[in-house]
Amino acid sequence: MSILLNEVTKYFGRDLVLDNVTDEVPQGSLTALLGPSGSGKSTLLRIVAGLEPLNQGHIELDGHDVTNVPARDRHIGFCFQDYAPFRQMTVFDNVAYGLKVQRLDKARIRKEVDDLLSLVRLESFADRYPRQLSGGQRQRMALARALAIKPEVLLLDEPFAALDAQVRGELRSWVRSLQRELGITTILVTHDQAEAMEIADRLVILNEGRIEQVGTPDSMYDKPANDFVQGFLGPITTLNGVACRPHDIELCEPGQGVTAIVTDIIRLGFEVRVVVRSTNNISSWVQLTHDEAQRLNLMVGESVSLRVRRGSGRNDEAVLLGGAFAVPYDQGAL
Amino acid sequence: MLAAPRKQTQAEGAKLPPATGRQFRDVRATSTLSRGAAKGLAITYLSLIVLIPLAALVTNAFNKGLGSFWRAVTQTESIDALRLTLLCAFVASAINAMAGLATAWVLVRDRFAGQAIINALIDLPFALPTVVAGVTFYTLYGPLSPFHVNITGTWIGVTVAIMFVTLPFTVRSVQPVLESLTFNAESAAATLGASPARIFRTITLPALMPALLIGTGLAFARAIGEYGSVVFISNNLPYRSEVASSYIYSLAVSDQTNSAASVAVALLIIALILLIFFNVTAQRLAKKRT
Amino acid sequence: MTRSRLILRCVVLFYIAALIGVPLIFVFQQAFLHGFGAFFSALRDPAMDHSILLTALVAVVAVPLNVLFGVGASLWIVRHPSRFTRVLDTVIDVPLAISPIIVGLVLELVYAQGGWFGAALAKLGWQVMFSFPGIVMASIFVSLPLVSRQVIPLLREIGDHQEQTASTLGAGPVRIFFSITLRSITWAAAYGVSLTLARVIGEYGAVLIVSGNIALVTQTLTLNIGANFDNFNNYQGFVGAVLLALSSIVLLLILGVARHRERRRNEYLA
Repeated sequence: MSILLNEVTKYFGRDLVLDNVTDEVPQGSLTALLGPSGSGKSTLLRIVAGLEPLNQGHIELDGHDVTNVPARDRHIGFCFQDYAPFRQMTVFDNVAYGLKVQRLDKARIRKEVDDLLSLVRLESFADRYPRQLSGGQRQRMALARALAIKPEVLLLDEPFAALDAQVRGELRSWVRSLQRELGITTILVTHDQAEAMEIADRLVILNEGRIEQVGTPDSMYDKPANDFVQGFLGPITTLNGVACRPHDIELCEPGQGVTAIVTDIIRLGFEVRVVVRSTNNISSWVQLTHDEAQRLNLMVGESVSLRVRRGSGRNDEAVLLGGAFAVPYDQGAL
Repeated sequence: MLAAPRKQTQAEGAKLPPATGRQFRDVRATSTLSRGAAKGLAITYLSLIVLIPLAALVTNAFNKGLGSFWRAVTQTESIDALRLTLLCAFVASAINAMAGLATAWVLVRDRFAGQAIINALIDLPFALPTVVAGVTFYTLYGPLSPFHVNITGTWIGVTVAIMFVTLPFTVRSVQPVLESLTFNAESAAATLGASPARIFRTITLPALMPALLIGTGLAFARAIGEYGSVVFISNNLPYRSEVASSYIYSLAVSDQTNSAASVAVALLIIALILLIFFNVTAQRLAKKRT
Repeated sequence: MTRSRLILRCVVLFYIAALIGVPLIFVFQQAFLHGFGAFFSALRDPAMDHSILLTALVAVVAVPLNVLFGVGASLWIVRHPSRFTRVLDTVIDVPLAISPIIVGLVLELVYAQGGWFGAALAKLGWQVMFSFPGIVMASIFVSLPLVSRQVIPLLREIGDHQEQTASTLGAGPVRIFFSITLRSITWAAAYGVSLTLARVIGEYGAVLIVSGNIALVTQTLTLNIGANFDNFNNYQGFVGAVLLALSSIVLLLILGVARHRERRRNEYLA
């Protein structure tokens, strides 16, 4: 089922939370709604779910206008960041809830719930209560519960934010493969760009209620539409006043780039971060692979010459020494 | 690791939402209607029971003019009653602020047999009818006292009765805060060489102060209005041991409605000032900490 | 086991025992002073029996009304905040600060013969003051905030994500209320209901004024106890007192269980 958001506008009192948001989410895709806190992404998700009314615009599911349809009739699955388990019910009853609402008979409910629980690997927890489950298990239960009603759309509101790193990584890939397998159109809200880059088919970046850019993760990383997107999607540093990626800075022959002194060398496992201070006292940092770092054999206090690598997603003109040469953004990114 | 998911057939998909055009405005309309009805119901219920009677009180207090109100409030008997009430309430609340804190501490930080019973017992003054407490205290500490003490007709007797009634307020307001306090700040202070007394004074107590103040405020407000538990042991000796509520009662039954209403309004104003004072102080303290 | 901890424990235990324990035991001792026989024949006193019945009837009417109002108002205040609900919240808390005598007085000012509604009520033939409805109203007044003060903080803490999730799963408002909301506030509501019941059957000052204290007609059990003492029938008074003390103990147990269940719920939340 495809989702169309058409000029969605939302006010909280006098605050404009969403400003003319328009996007079409293709059937079967996993779209990440990315943005900083307060960008309106959770609000947008809740509007799509029908949990929040909008002020202007409309929402269509597969061509049907659902703007005035209440949440219970929209047939979507929703997962909160805090999992929102029904604490007074067992895991089984949690997952069965939507099916009981549909008044299916007990045998059918039992079969469906058992299937779902084995899908999410929680079969042995059926009679436990949510408080006896770990965070990752609760999230899987929440997913099973949402999938029970066979929704056409799955909406996930920062589902992994409250989990620790390893569980987060596992659950993330698992949700990705589940989504591919089931082919459910999914929107995932997150503030974690790495997460979005890893599992999403397409990214929608929101800032202060407006869409900054829409595209595939690769295209947006390489060709960001503006400073904000670039800064949000990956690490940036500045060289001679121009923002660029730390791994796009390369060392060059003296005189061909900006002169800087190495002030710190930090080993971060597979990469090495070299912090430099250029002649106008601005700190930048350069990201090198382990091999590169070893080859160059840099020392703190050494003087180096730096420039932005050619072909690094910008216009192919390099940063010139001493010049605040503003590199125009690649228009094709928009 | 989690297993790969199995396929789900799309054919078992759900009914699609209705086609464009059909609006669910009905749902919205009924909810505004029911909301209006609920508002009306709530307003009627509260008005009949609380709001209109209170309005009648204020009207009755002032319907003979401000002068009449003032005279009623400043009658000697009235002043004496108000003064006694405030004195006893103050002493009882002050003692119970400390006792409540100590009790909450012992219930939360200590561990001994029968703790659950003590914990349940704290609520007894909430659950026990005031008149039961009143007649019991009168018999225990009055002319028929097995301990051969007689504090009837004295402010001490009144204070003891009020102490009984108000203890749960201070205990129950401090207890949950104490329970949720982790030891982190206290441990940090200990590693810096602070003594237990110092830790309590500088770290624990300030954290508990807002809750303690609110509980003491509630206790005080309850204390100045208390009747059933106090009226027997006080013997209602005018100018000596008559509390404000008894005085208002005597005015009411002798049809001095205007005076009764006036003194009642005065008592309510005092209660309001107290509650505002305690709550604002508690809020200020709480804000200072965040 | 430090000495100061031991001292504190002893001081507190002594205080509780002296202030609360001794009176409680004393009530029982006084009621059974003359043995079980005398106790049971005292139970058959017609004035007291009637007062027990009246108190029970008042409770049966007043408690459910207040619980319904309390739960409904709490839900409204927390889930649909507005200027109106803020005022509602304040008004509900007002009875906490009002002396029971004043409660009786204000009700009398409105509903007695010479009161604001007195003439209209007389014309309709409805008697509120010195009669059952007045006692019910006084009971409702004094116990108004007891349920809300327990339920509101809990509703705020739980949040409404569970209810929202239930609505995405297709549940309507009624089903959501009974299967989710009510079940999450059960023990807090039980605590509030117990406090309400305790307050309703134990109210003295307000009912004293509103009922007229007419024995065998409008005298509740608390008033009966007070009247017995005023007439120097101390023993009869203590018999009634011990009945109320017993019901208080039962309510205390319920309160204890409710608090324990709530704490267990909080433990896993952390």
